[in-house]
Amino acid sequence: MKGRTVIAFAIVAAVLALVPQFLNGYARSLLYITVLYVALAYAWNVISGYAGYLSFGQVTFFGLGAYTTAISVTRGNLPWWEGALLGGVISAALAVPLGYLMLRLRGAFFALGMLGLAQTLQVVANSWQLTGGGSGLFLPPGSNALPAYYWTLAIGLLTFAATLFIDRSAFGLRLQALREDEQVASTLGVQVTTTKVWAFVISAIVPGLLGGGYAWYLTYVEPVSAFATRFDLQAVAMTILGGIGTVWGPLIGGVLMSQVSEMLAAQYPQAYLMIFGGLVVVLLVFLPRGIAPAVSAALARHRARAAQGHR
Amino acid sequence: MHAALIGQLTIDGLLVGGVYALSALGLNVIFGVMRIVNLAHGEFVIGAALLSAVLFERWHANLFVVLPLAFVLAFGLGALIQRAFLRRLPEDLASAEATSLLMTFGLSYFFVGAWLTFFSGNFRSVPYLTGAWTLGPFSIAQARLAAFVASGIIAVLLALLLRYTALGRSIRATSQNVQGALACGVDVERVRTLSFALGTAIAAASGCLLILIFTVNPETGANVTLASFAVIALGGLGNYAGTLVGAAVIGLAVSFTGYFATAQVAQAAPYVLFILVLLLRPAGILGKSGA
Amino acid sequence: MSAPLLEIENVSRAFGGVRALDGVDLRVNQGEILCIIGPNGAGKTTLFNIISGVMRPSSGDVRFQGESIVRWSPQRIAAAGIARTYQIARPFARLCVRDNVAVAALVHERTLERARRAAQDVLESVGLATLADRPAGSLTLTQRKRLEVARALALRPKLLLLDEVMAGLTPTEIDTMAAFIEQLRERGIAAIGGVEHVMRVVMRISDRIAVLDFGKKIADGTPAEIVADSRVGEAYFGTSLDDVGAAPPTKGHS
Ligand SMILES: Nc1ncnc2c1ncn2[C@@H]1O[C@H](COP(=O)(O)OP(=O)(O)OP(=O)(O)O)[C@@H](O)[C@H]1O
Ligand SMILES: [Mg+2]
Repeated sequence: MKGRTVIAFAIVAAVLALVPQFLNGYARSLLYITVLYVALAYAWNVISGYAGYLSFGQVTFFGLGAYTTAISVTRGNLPWWEGALLGGVISAALAVPLGYLMLRLRGAFFALGMLGLAQTLQVVANSWQLTGGGSGLFLPPGSNALPAYYWTLAIGLLTFAATLFIDRSAFGLRLQALREDEQVASTLGVQVTTTKVWAFVISAIVPGLLGGGYAWYLTYVEPVSAFATRFDLQAVAMTILGGIGTVWGPLIGGVLMSQVSEMLAAQYPQAYLMIFGGLVVVLLVFLPRGIAPAVSAALARHRARAAQGHR
Repeated sequence: MHAALIGQLTIDGLLVGGVYALSALGLNVIFGVMRIVNLAHGEFVIGAALLSAVLFERWHANLFVVLPLAFVLAFGLGALIQRAFLRRLPEDLASAEATSLLMTFGLSYFFVGAWLTFFSGNFRSVPYLTGAWTLGPFSIAQARLAAFVASGIIAVLLALLLRYTALGRSIRATSQNVQGALACGVDVERVRTLSFALGTAIAAASGCLLILIFTVNPETGANVTLASFAVIALGGLGNYAGTLVGAAVIGLAVSFTGYFATAQVAQAAPYVLFILVLLLRPAGILGKSGA
Repeated sequence: MSAPLLEIENVSRAFGGVRALDGVDLRVNQGEILCIIGPNGAGKTTLFNIISGVMRPSSGDVRFQGESIVRWSPQRIAAAGIARTYQIARPFARLCVRDNVAVAALVHERTLERARRAAQDVLESVGLATLADRPAGSLTLTQRKRLEVARALALRPKLLLLDEVMAGLTPTEIDTMAAFIEQLRERGIAAIGGVEHVMRVVMRISDRIAVLDFGKKIADGTPAEIVADSRVGEAYFGTSLDDVGAAPPTKGHS
């Protein structure tokens, strides 16, 4: 079973690595976007799906990664991927104290705390000279798309593997326990604070790393797109559609919706917001658990029937 | 810095605070009855604000027409949202709060998109009551004063409604104890719908007043939500007296940062206060400390 | 004689004007079964909240194996060997029954697999093994009460705090639970039970009984002493305990 998982994982990774060779520029960009959005959804799913702390501001770390990379390249003459790595490191380093502070807040206050954080950093990026103010920073253009894709793919695969691990580990069980009832979890011996801060750090590191790739991919960074709250709306909608707090949810939701998301956001931004916002609302009423649990229930039924047939 | 300037900024801040207080009262009514934190609150405020701006541009419709209209429309919209969506959330106890948060989060973006479609992304204001009265060294903007007074009147009407009407009694009973209210024959489902509708309508009313003072566009709703929550964080959730104090503090913060820093920083000010208060005193300034 | 397992010293806790606990002293020895009886609102749950660390006392001290634990976090207290149940059962609704217990077993087991195995053993002992794969949210009230106990036991506690584990059970179920609690004594686990009703059982299984009334401890002794104490009968029952023992005012009793 374990071996098979590893082999399947390797095959998928190899295919995703080779596929861009056979695609034109447009198709490549769609592939990049899909991998990016799926990875962001996976990152959101750790703190919000498994730990139950709904964050509407993980884009904070995405923007931080993007700006770290842009500043490292334009002002520090570092190679872009070093800047992107640095973005991940800074995100993680920030997420530790931030997690200790923010995760004391519960429910709406945590959600709003994170939302406001993203907005505040946007204001900072807009007003600061180092970040180029409202016009942002420009990176040297060139053949950036493919390296950015590989970077994003690598992080996406790692994030998926991390989710697989979390779902089957003691850490993941503790996260789910504190999601269901934090006080009870604590009286059953769960180190609640440490556990949730770890989840928060994972959910921060991933967008922190991805942001750098995005900056390199776009060849510029500016406040509105780097801290776009729509990334969080998207992660929320995709994860709910696929199944919140599940291993496959972000993948299913992300693959189904990335293309639509990108097309709408670019061409009909208003409709984009209405459709994605409305989708969240409608899904919560009609399919609150998402596709993944429905599929696994169907699979289980199928298996049970097959087993009975054999007898 | 002149004493006169400080006085002026204080007056401006307190007058704006009145409108924030009204907006936060709307949130509090909904939270009290439904234990739902409405993340789409700011969008209802902004929707009404933009509606009144457009009506003013087209027909010079004044506040006495626009505010009741927005109130009624928002009341209907709120009732509809509660009936069609919020009420139908799965009754899974462990995740009830999370699901309602996700839903109002979705609603907030839906309405940002809707307002962008109806009203475009332009910043709007209502150039109505542009004059000012002079009072010694201070000038009192008519628009600010009108917004403050109107907020006060609506807040008093709300207090009377909560205290003396049958609906108000049901709302208070349900806020205190759902089981008890049910036992006393309160139709809790109906009270929830009316409360959400009322909270939404109050948000709309505060929007009609807010736009007398500020320039807004559909994307500023999140700032209003944050400011309203900052008020509540300062005052304590469900604490009506605290709301007034919190609103005054936020009004002052906005007024002073708006003068000494950029308008953008002024928008971030409520948030910074919100975080500081929540971290230092999770139960609010007036709330009880402890577990 | 060795030091008591748990010493509660002059513990008070106020909520606004309400004195939920008022200068309570209590000792529990290793392997002892102590029942705290007291009417609605007497302060039993508040006492459990303080011992388990989810609440701080307004004043007073709680010592476990000689160490003061009032400043400890709930998880540290749990790991040190004090487990509790909740009066209104609070299962992790979307986790399966086995995983509910495994969370606690993880305090002692290094891998999830071993924690799940340990959880299964505990479930056998409380008669929930067949439901191990069901989501805990789907359990009946009785099953939830058992799950509370199972989770607490999985911590391998030295002291078990049982908050009204018998409330709402049928007489047969109460007897099963009572037998179960008596077994604890053989395993060297001390228990404090908070009990509002079910006096018949309390008299039988307790080594000692403490009586709480409006946050004050008004009596503390062996069942026989408590029965003989006229203050208890009057203050708490308005009648003599012999009568109560004969006709237990059991909830859910038909
Ligand atoms: N968190 C709290 N906030 C305010 N008051 C509380 C709180 N917890 C308990 N109380 C009050 O403290 C008193 C003691 O309550 P407690 O729950 O400890 O009693 P109890 O003996 O467990 O009663 P019951 O039989 O109802 O379980 C009651 O008056 C109760 O209202
Ligand atoms: Mg109790």
